[in-house]
Amino acid sequence: MKKTHIILIVVIAVMIGAMIGAISDSSSYADFGEAFDNPGDEYHVVGQLSKDKEMVYDPLSNPDLFTFWMRDVNGQEQQVILHKSKPQDFERSEQIVLIGSVENGAFHAHEILMKCPSKYTDGEVQEKPHA
Amino acid sequence: MEYVGEHLWAGELGHIFVLSAFGFGLLSSIAYFIAENKQDDSWKSLGRMAFYAHSVSVVAMVGMLFFMIFNQYFEYHYVWQHSSTDLPFRYIFSSFWEGVEGSFMLWMLWHVVIANFLLWRVKDWEAPVFSVIASVQTFLTSMLLGIVILDYKLGSNPFTALLREHPDFMNLPIFQVSEYLTVLDGRGLNPLLQNYWMTIHPPMLFFGFALTLVPFAYAIAGLWRKAYLDWIKPALTWTFFAIGILGTGILMGGAWAYEALSFGGFWAWDPVENSSLVPWLTLVGGGHLMLVQRNKGTSVMSMFLLITLSFCLVQYSSFLTKSGILGDSSVHSFTDLGMTGQLAVSLLFFTFLSVGLVIWRYKGFPKPNQEESIWSREFWMFIGALVLLVSAFQIGFSTSFPVINKIFGTNFAQSAERITYYNQWQLPLAIIVAFTLGFTQFLKYKSTKPKAFLKDLSISLALNLTLTAAIAWAMSISNLLILMLLFASLVATTANLDFMIRILSGKVLKSGSSIAHIGFALVLLGALLSTSQSETISQNTSLFDIEVLGETYDNNENILLMKDDTLRMGEYFVSYRGKEKEGHFIHYEVEYMQANEEGRLEKIFALYPFIQLNPRMGNVAEPYTKHYLGRDLYTHITYAELEEKKDESSQQEHVIQLGDTIFGKASFMVLDSLTTKPTKNTEGLTNKDMALGASFSLFDINTNEHHLMPLFVIRDRQYSFSVADSISSAGIKISFEGIDPTSESFKFVVEEQEANKKEFIVMKAIIFPAINVLWLGCILMAIGTFIAIAARLRRK
Repeated sequence: MKKTHIILIVVIAVMIGAMIGAISDSSSYADFGEAFDNPGDEYHVVGQLSKDKEMVYDPLSNPDLFTFWMRDVNGQEQQVILHKSKPQDFERSEQIVLIGSVENGAFHAHEILMKCPSKYTDGEVQEKPHA
Repeated sequence: MEYVGEHLWAGELGHIFVLSAFGFGLLSSIAYFIAENKQDDSWKSLGRMAFYAHSVSVVAMVGMLFFMIFNQYFEYHYVWQHSSTDLPFRYIFSSFWEGVEGSFMLWMLWHVVIANFLLWRVKDWEAPVFSVIASVQTFLTSMLLGIVILDYKLGSNPFTALLREHPDFMNLPIFQVSEYLTVLDGRGLNPLLQNYWMTIHPPMLFFGFALTLVPFAYAIAGLWRKAYLDWIKPALTWTFFAIGILGTGILMGGAWAYEALSFGGFWAWDPVENSSLVPWLTLVGGGHLMLVQRNKGTSVMSMFLLITLSFCLVQYSSFLTKSGILGDSSVHSFTDLGMTGQLAVSLLFFTFLSVGLVIWRYKGFPKPNQEESIWSREFWMFIGALVLLVSAFQIGFSTSFPVINKIFGTNFAQSAERITYYNQWQLPLAIIVAFTLGFTQFLKYKSTKPKAFLKDLSISLALNLTLTAAIAWAMSISNLLILMLLFASLVATTANLDFMIRILSGKVLKSGSSIAHIGFALVLLGALLSTSQSETISQNTSLFDIEVLGETYDNNENILLMKDDTLRMGEYFVSYRGKEKEGHFIHYEVEYMQANEEGRLEKIFALYPFIQLNPRMGNVAEPYTKHYLGRDLYTHITYAELEEKKDESSQQEHVIQLGDTIFGKASFMVLDSLTTKPTKNTEGLTNKDMALGASFSLFDINTNEHHLMPLFVIRDRQYSFSVADSISSAGIKISFEGIDPTSESFKFVVEEQEANKKEFIVMKAIIFPAINVLWLGCILMAIGTFIAIAARLRRK
């Protein structure tokens, strides 16, 4: 067997390893139902902020703690405990992606991604400031 | 309805330019194709003429769109969407390429500029190379056609899309007025892009992307002509130019993220960042295999695959960002314009063309008589190129989850521990690359005497081991992988430095590649030290910290600063001094102090992290960084109350007994004692008055103790009133309202001023050590590449 063949086999093996590694390290998109059925497992949950429910951010007590309610794509509402500061402009978010897991019966998120409002499709126009 | 003041001629003209760019591109590609297959010069001249006409059309169409933005023709959806009347002139260019259509135009414009330079020097390679280039341009122009064929909309045309005809807007009342343009304003540029880095990073990146077309076109031409090695010489300089520019463009993106985004770093393994890094890695690998080929015909297939795939991966990168498929997972991506299918067709066309040609021609590739020796430089360059390919594959595969999900219906998502995940794979690969970068300098092409090599190597290893130990001790690094990469990148740096001084005796023109390699090693070193040794020094030290939810979830990476309070943060004492509004920005002044020799706090500097207000697109916090030579102090606001607090106050009634405590929102008060002989607040009382004083100890947020004595006064045994006491610094006012003798309890009303207690910011501060090593590396890499290119051009 030639050196090049050995090297190619090693390279392919590492690539397959990288694929397996990527998949085994990945988390998955889910709804609250699935996340609550599997406490401790990390999920990405997509949903919308429940604007009528209470949002609590008391930075004086803990600037890294923010709780709110989110409605997932199936309409299930859950309280979310975010272990970060409250994102700027949170109320205006249109869509939220939470990354976290269920611990002790509550959804704890350690990362949050927000889609900000209607950047591209809102049916609104502005008038010139001086007009 | 007749609309007044619209400039429909501009769009019609622009549309004509798009159509002619498409038509001439297609014609040029076909004419060159026939010219190559028939070896016919008249077809070649036709192809060239058509390519000139295509170039003129592209320049005219870019000029037209720019003209429309410059003159604020808001009747066009694209202009309306990306600019506004109050947009400063310097950001006009940014609004040009903010959208999908504009970024395609920028890309095409670079192709045209590069191709016209190439046309000078391409000589007998013209027909096949330009057939490829023109076909790429044809595909790109098709993204702008905006024509509906059999119910499928081909491309998105910024010149024909009028705002009043857009389905989301057409029913708005404003468009029932024929003079709507007199009042309509544009929606404006995303505030994140209103930054000087954003005026140079995208053109640089697209320039790099566009340059990958040249080696791609030459490689396809080489396969086409079965001239498997002859194309390398004319394409080599372009390849390394592409590597230099694309690398600079990517790092500029990192600099932008570091300077203007509150990601907390220069590289976040974001899918869009990754998708631009992947083709760079394969191109570096491919470029080095091209160097090997000049000396010997080995690993021809790997070279062809790496070079052609680099261009296909650039297309893939554009597919990822422009199809909207990354929607959920990246901050940079565009929204879907319905072009996913078209982008995929273009990507697949060029990928199948590349891979298909390589397989088809494989049998004819030159084969070496014997295998390369393990003691040869080319063997290790080959290994290095393969490691780069593995690295690119690992990043590319993980970044492709959204695509994999779409095709296979799976449900993978990137782990939230993205940085740890990528680092655990990329760190070992970087170690190998850095090592090969170092010791290949001691190897010769073909073969080296092992003895001499081992001698050189052992000196280098011993020296660098010492250096590594010294740095590790100084920065207290103990992680084995990090130590190994530190060692490897030091080997790479010193070996190249040594090569430059000893072998090249410091001749600048010859040392381009050495300088570039030193730069690359320093980038690795700087990235490694600044990220692995970074330290978040902002921790919540406020006294009101309540650990509600146990240890595991305690991020504790933000500090709460009440106005004018001084808190300890790392080696500093910090104090939030106030904010200042300036246009769309609110600057927060944060003062940094250190104890001087007498132990008193002294101001050493102030930082002004700020928030950019944008009612339409959301507010953005932007960082402010203090640069030292050896490290950076990087800060940004994570939370601040943006509404102006009115001077409101809240009142609350408390009925308490002696020794009880009243909790306010930012302080607490203890009723210590009562006295019939009050010593405070007695002005205006007569000796006939009976006054009862309540002595309170008040502890504010800094645990400073204050004393208050509100009075309850009975005058003439007829009526009672209260004399309140207040501590303005704590925003507290207490009045003594009554006594209940039977239960020995007392009634107080506590008034708290909202304004006083709520002014605060939540801030994050990170120390990045040795980040200047990274920037120095970037600059050296760019300088080295350009010296190498200058040297090659001179040799010609």
